[in-house]
Amino acid sequence: MENTINIGIDLGTTNSAIAKFVKGDVIVFNNPLDYGRSTLPSVVYYKKDRIVVGNKAKEYLERDPKNVVGLFKRKMGTSESFQIKSINESKTPVDLSAQVIKELKTFVNTGDSLESVVITIPASFDVIQSNATKEAGKQSGFKQVVLLQEPIAASLAYANMKKSKELTDGNWLVYDLGGGTFDVALVRIKDGEMKVIDHEGDNFLGGSDFDRLIVERLIIPKISEEYTFEDLETQMKSASGKYNAKYYSLLNQAEEAKIRLSAVSSAEIIVERMEDEEGNEVDMEIVITKSEFNELIKESIDGTIEMIKTILTRNSLTSNDVQFNLMVGGSTFIPFVRQRVEEVLQIPVNCEIDPTTAVCIGAAYYAATKQRDISANQSENKQNQLTIKASYNKASKEADELFAARIKGLTDGFFYKIVRQDGGFDSGLKNLTERINEDLPLVENTYNFFTLTIYDGENNVIETDIEPIGINSGFGISGQPLPEDICLEVDDYDNPGQTRLFLIFERNSVLPTKRSLTFSINKQILKGSESDRLWINVYEGPQTSLPEANKPIGVIEITGKQVSRDIAKGSDLEITIMISESKDVTVSGYLNMSDQDFKEVFNPKERNTNVTLLKGQVFDLSTKLDVEIELATEKEDYETAGALSKTKKDMEDIEVEVENLSDDDVTDKRYQLEDKKRKVAQAIDSATKNKRLQQATNNYYETKAECEELIDESGNDHERKTFNDIGSQEAAFMATKSPLKIQEKSDEFHGIIGQIRWRTPDFLKALFARLVDDQSKMNDQSQAKSLIDAGNFALESQNWDRLKEINFGLLDLLPKGSKDEITTKIGFGL
Amino acid sequence: MLEHNFKKLKPYFEIIDQLFEIERKLKNISEPNSISRNLNKMKDIFENLLSSSTSAEEGLLYHDPMGEGYNETRLDLEASIAGSSSENLFIKEVIKPIIRYKKGGSTLIARKGVVVVESKI
Repeated sequence: MENTINIGIDLGTTNSAIAKFVKGDVIVFNNPLDYGRSTLPSVVYYKKDRIVVGNKAKEYLERDPKNVVGLFKRKMGTSESFQIKSINESKTPVDLSAQVIKELKTFVNTGDSLESVVITIPASFDVIQSNATKEAGKQSGFKQVVLLQEPIAASLAYANMKKSKELTDGNWLVYDLGGGTFDVALVRIKDGEMKVIDHEGDNFLGGSDFDRLIVERLIIPKISEEYTFEDLETQMKSASGKYNAKYYSLLNQAEEAKIRLSAVSSAEIIVERMEDEEGNEVDMEIVITKSEFNELIKESIDGTIEMIKTILTRNSLTSNDVQFNLMVGGSTFIPFVRQRVEEVLQIPVNCEIDPTTAVCIGAAYYAATKQRDISANQSENKQNQLTIKASYNKASKEADELFAARIKGLTDGFFYKIVRQDGGFDSGLKNLTERINEDLPLVENTYNFFTLTIYDGENNVIETDIEPIGINSGFGISGQPLPEDICLEVDDYDNPGQTRLFLIFERNSVLPTKRSLTFSINKQILKGSESDRLWINVYEGPQTSLPEANKPIGVIEITGKQVSRDIAKGSDLEITIMISESKDVTVSGYLNMSDQDFKEVFNPKERNTNVTLLKGQVFDLSTKLDVEIELATEKEDYETAGALSKTKKDMEDIEVEVENLSDDDVTDKRYQLEDKKRKVAQAIDSATKNKRLQQATNNYYETKAECEELIDESGNDHERKTFNDIGSQEAAFMATKSPLKIQEKSDEFHGIIGQIRWRTPDFLKALFARLVDDQSKMNDQSQAKSLIDAGNFALESQNWDRLKEINFGLLDLLPKGSKDEITTKIGFGL
Repeated sequence: MLEHNFKKLKPYFEIIDQLFEIERKLKNISEPNSISRNLNKMKDIFENLLSSSTSAEEGLLYHDPMGEGYNETRLDLEASIAGSSSENLFIKEVIKPIIRYKKGGSTLIARKGVVVVESKI
């Protein structure tokens, strides 16, 4: 067990966070219930049967003030308590803070035993307030709580980031402007000791005030100017006002505009879906410029500057005595805040640390220097094995499903929580009793998994025997799984003249199912032409097989006779395939250019075999068989050659029979022939599968080696990571024995190779030389000449970026010859 | 629980928000040019955004929660509560739809929806 504390908590007025020091670095834990965020709003919501902490509680803060408490940190160390209506109890700031800390404990996913912690406090906290914070830490289950002042924590985060540079003796400021509060502290370091010398603050100033200003001072006046409203501001801000909902919608847009304005010079806010008092539909796009926004917040920022001036005066310091001003808190992302503070005070601002997590990162660094003070016998073993017997419907078409469970073992003082694994539902922390019931909301048409976790009074997880709760919702219930892959036949651009299968639905997908795909047509279809045609061929069978070896379940032929206008090469064909619960397959093709739909339903009991297609396939298969026999013989692979030759006789019979079949034959002959053809194809497939797999595998390792060499020479971190990622999946995709899957990975390596080459001077030079040789083939000779001149200049001056652009330009001038040579058997492909 | 890094998909979320807006506006107009076909096409593109020719459907889809009930257990939404009551809440305005990441038969919340809710009473 490590003997330093390592865990740090920023217990903030508006937001809190938790971090851990691990091997020289600090990780900030993510909020498991609020994807992408590592902070937890310091707000607690008590409902009759549950406690909710964080974002959801914050949403209810204004509307249900009798049950939701926020900003309680301001009352730390006072005798004030909050009367909670729903549970008819009063809670102290210590209780509420403990609740936040307990919630933060659930962020820690590293399995650490949480017994010691560093918690940060504002510089302004006195002894009573500090002790109250310590008490909150203890109440939440920590046995050892060490306190650290927030400005010191931020400074430590900075000092640790600048590992190479020791902080020199002197003064600096920590300027902390968060979502709802502002603090500034003067920090001094002397002989290695860091100390807060002075501080000031405003508990009612932060980013959310700026959002409000945007709505009230910019948006509402602009709407009122254009439309007829009587006192729109009151109508919006009053809870009973007609436009109260709109106010929140605008606040939301204002926040987004504020964030955008940090990067761009103007942001739009769209006001719509509301009517003015004369019944006119409001439809406005209000542009807010950076300068308008800056003007709006100037007064508030100047107020913070005044506080700093007060601190400086009080400590007989001038701006020159302060090394820098360390910016902390989300609102310091606003460029104007940084500029204004620097400009007026003439103290350089320092924005090198992440302002939202700096305090908890600093706390974790500090924690790494503090010894744990817990003797082994102090940590009680709270393991209490509970047995849970759950009962619920495993399949449901309802919007929610009742979950019931019976708990065996001691339940007193324990809590439970149920969360949906997609991150969309959290029951909140509820009291554990012998029997529990919970309505679980379901997402339609998917498997819903829930986890039930039991916690003790300090939010430590208690071991149980319950498995994840899985409920299938929607169409999957009566649906049967697909017995085989369903694929579409497409032209194989890597092997001209051949086709391959494109996976539409994987084996075991639950019916019914539907998928739409778009392909570019690779040949033109002239109106009226009988020979110009596209095939939409749907097959059942393994995707890894040759198309001919699988069972055709539906085919649509689109010829020039059917189209209402000429269809150009390169235009789109949209294919939709639907399979019903009873396995009826509906295939439809939509030609974008002619706005025509071609649709057919194929019943699995009625075979559908197109004679023209069959003839073509038989011919191709026969050619393929000959080629394969020849190849195998050449390679002295007599085993394969022998196996293939055996099928040669069958193939010849089929060829004769197919030749005699008329296009409108009404007998079963076509189906029999189709079956025979498929058997031959399967025989070829199994005889040559090893060869294809071998080819794909060899190609893969060759490409991999080439890629590795290039990465070692001139790859970047990102490319190395992508390379390693593919490598780490190697065992898995090699095990599929699918040439296609292996080929796909080789293609990914090719992608990396391409990326690296395009920045390698040798490659750029060689490509340029080749393009110069091809000048005569280029479409626009004068442009080609000027590009080549510029290229020669770039070569001389070794301007590789420029040479890269020129190469692109020259490539564009080459006729698209290679694409013209692709196979067009099916009419579209990959 | 959510291992996927959805941050890099943010530009797609922004386009999906626009699709949602277009779809919402289309409901109120009748037009002869079958714009909805193009819209559905775009939705399909997103549903297959991360699919490859050898894997099952993988991509993003959105859901409009307009009119649905709301309470504090719904983590798929970020809500602002309008009006004076917080009981019997329903979704009155959808600012951004819920975006889900879908692979095979399971889904994850990729981006929470943003809504304004109000009491039904």
